[in-house]
Order: sequence, then C-alpha cells, then structure tokens
Amino acid sequence: MLSKAEDRARPARLDRDRSLVEEARRDPSRFDALYRKYLAQVYSFAYYELRDRHAAEDATERVFMQALAGLPRFEERVDAFIASPGVPSGAADSADFSTFRVWLFRIARNVVANERRRDRRRPVSSLEDAAEFSAPDDVAEAAAAREAVSAAWAAVSRLPEDRRRAVVLRFVDEMSTAEIAAILGRSEGAVRVLLHRALRSVADDLRGRLS
Amino acid sequence: MLGSGTRDARRTERYLDGLTSADDRRASDVPVDVDVDPAVRLAARELRDSLTRVHPSFRFEEALAARLAAAAARQAAGLPVEEPAAAAAAGTVAQFRGRSIGGADAAVAGTVPVVLSAFAAAAAGDGATMPPGDPAGASAIQAPGGHLRGIWPTSPFRLPEVAIRQPRPLIVGGVGVGVASAAISLGAVYVAWRHSHPAVTPMGRAAREAHGRAAHFGRGRRQRVVDEILGVVS
Repeated sequence: MLSKAEDRARPARLDRDRSLVEEARRDPSRFDALYRKYLAQVYSFAYYELRDRHAAEDATERVFMQALAGLPRFEERVDAFIASPGVPSGAADSADFSTFRVWLFRIARNVVANERRRDRRRPVSSLEDAAEFSAPDDVAEAAAAREAVSAAWAAVSRLPEDRRRAVVLRFVDEMSTAEIAAILGRSEGAVRVLLHRALRSVADDLRGRLS
Repeated sequence: MLGSGTRDARRTERYLDGLTSADDRRASDVPVDVDVDPAVRLAARELRDSLTRVHPSFRFEEALAARLAAAAARQAAGLPVEEPAAAAAAGTVAQFRGRSIGGADAAVAGTVPVVLSAFAAAAAGDGATMPPGDPAGASAIQAPGGHLRGIWPTSPFRLPEVAIRQPRPLIVGGVGVGVASAAISLGAVYVAWRHSHPAVTPMGRAAREAHGRAAHFGRGRRQRVVDEILGVVS
C-alpha cells in the first residue's frame, strides 16, 4: 500500500513536458516554450546557489544552451515507474528516473557546481539581495519581512551544500522528493533525511537568533 | 522496521507536502501534524515564506531568448549550437594590405600564407576551414555549412613586415567607429583653433582675406538672386 506522500509523488513521474520536448526536437525553434516555462526556476536555483545576479544569469544561459544542444540526446525514463505501480517510491533507482525538468536541473546542478568551483571568492551571502525579494509597501512590515528573509536566508546559506541544494529545490522550485533525488543522484530516503536535518538546523539557527 | 530518524523524516515530508498543497489551494493554513517537531514546522513555514522564486530581468529574458533562437537556427542548419568565438566579437576582422615587393623580399613574403593560415584558423575558431586550392590563404574563410566567416586579401599577398610579425587585424564597426569619431572631433578642434588664431605669415593673411571676400561675395550674389526672384526691393 502506498502512502499519501508516495501517491502524491507519483504524478510527478509522468513527464508533463513530453509534447513540448517532442516539438522542440522536431523544430529547435520550439525550444522557446520550454525556455519560458523553466527560466524562472533555473534562474532561481542558480541565484540561490551563486548569490549573484550576474553569475546566475551566466549560469542560466549556459544551462539553456547546453539543454538545447543536448535535447536530441535526452531520454525520458518514467516507464519503469508507471509499469510497476506496486513498487514503493524510492525503491527504484532514482538515477533511472528522468523527466525533462529533472534532466534540465541536472544540467543546472553541474553548471552551478562548475561555477562555484571556478570562483571560490564569492561572498558567503548577500543578504540585502535576498531581502529584496519581498518588499511590502508598509515600511515597518517591509523591515520585518526583510529581517525575516535575511534570517532565513542566512540560516540556509550556513547549511552544508547538499542540504542547502535540497532545500532550494524543495522550497523554491517546489519539487517532489523523487525529483530532488533524481537531480542530486541520491535515494529518496536520503533526500528525506537531508531535508529533515536541514529543517532542524534552520530551526536551531532561527531559535538562536531569537534568543 | 523504520528507525526513528527515518520516521521523523517521513513525517516532515508529509508536512512539507501539506504545505505545498496548501499553497496550491491558496489555503491560509495547513493541517497541524502533532507528531512533527514544532521547531521544524516553524522553520518550514519560515522557509516557505522567505525562499521565494526569483525572476530575471525582462531584458535578460528577451536577450537570452534571442540568443537561443539564433542557436536553434544554427542547430537546424546542422551547425554547432554554441556561437563561434570569432563571430561573438563585434565588428568584422579585415587585414591591412601591404605594399608590393619583389625580388628577394618575395622569399620572405612566402611565409605569409603560413602566418595567415594560423591566424585564420585562430580567428575562425571552431572547425572553419580554408578553401582548398588557395595556397596563399586568400579569399574567404568558410564555416561548416558554407557560411562566409570573413574576407581575406587575394593572392599574391605580399607583406614582408607581416611575415615576421603577427598580422594586426583592423576591427571595423567597433573600434572603427571610435576612430572615426575621434578624427571628426580633432578636425572640429582644429577648425575652431584656426578661426580663433590669425595667420602668422603675410601670405596666410592674404589668402584668408581673399577666401573670406569670395565667400561673402558668393553669399551676396546668391542673396541678390533670391531677392530678385521674390521681388524684394532694397
């Protein structure tokens, strides 16, 4: 019997982009639809990882260029999961699971990792940039929101790389555990533990700030 | 048998799924799972509110869309998706033409094609080829697919100086516009200086005076013709 969470994760196994991918394969100019659909997600991922707008733009461009070039080689792999509905989520190898979005974010993960390796001199965090995300009209509310965002962002930026990446994929890109597992090359169980520990770390960090 | 850590992780995941589906439903709150650590719940809600998705600037979005469209066109034509390095630079690369030489200097000039070929290969970047049967390295450089990459001087190409130095390309369009602008500015400065300084030599003064009179005479004659046509009586 599958749990509710596993049931919820299952529709994500179906590649909703299949028709767009097929169109883009037939006519590369149709890649624009995929680009528009995932631009903000890829850019957000790059921005939260690199913490610099220009670096995030460069990374985003590389991701989509590589995706366009590699699209003919992309293989959707969801059939094994659909054919065996009794298989518990996470029992199968996450590396065998690939939708377009997962494949795109695998490219993004590699591009971002290369970027981070190339430039280790980046500031640890740019809190002001992070706080720009939400700016309500009311000044007091804006200040409070800014402080909350800064605190949350600081807590996330102090996480180890794999936990931080899992948190960003979960909260910013709203991915399922199965998708995160496939992108990070981990099992779903490992990703659950990563997220749980990340939240505990963030909770301790926020509690420390409040006290 | 699940360990407590795994059980907690599963509970946390269920709570996160509840948060996500509450967002989808635009619900203000989510069912509280009493088994989940309250601190974890608080942290999850903080992160949900704080880690928002960011969108790049519209300008960047459209610029990248244009670059992707160009790359898609290249891909459809069977060319590499990535833009060649030489084509990425603004302007066109052209070679200065040298003066003709003969005799012994021709032997030195014989090394030019080698230098040019190396330079052309470096400029063309990815897989561009020199046309066959063109030993002097002259004529067009073509990219795979037959696209013209650049125009090069026709043979015989004689540049004894270039034979021992790297050929220096002229970038037209980028730097060229700057050079032209600077020349115009210098010309304007010179004319202003001429007007503000009297001629030093008698001949110079006489020439200026004659030029000024002719100019005034010309203008006066034109004005008289115009006045006659319009019937103006002075």
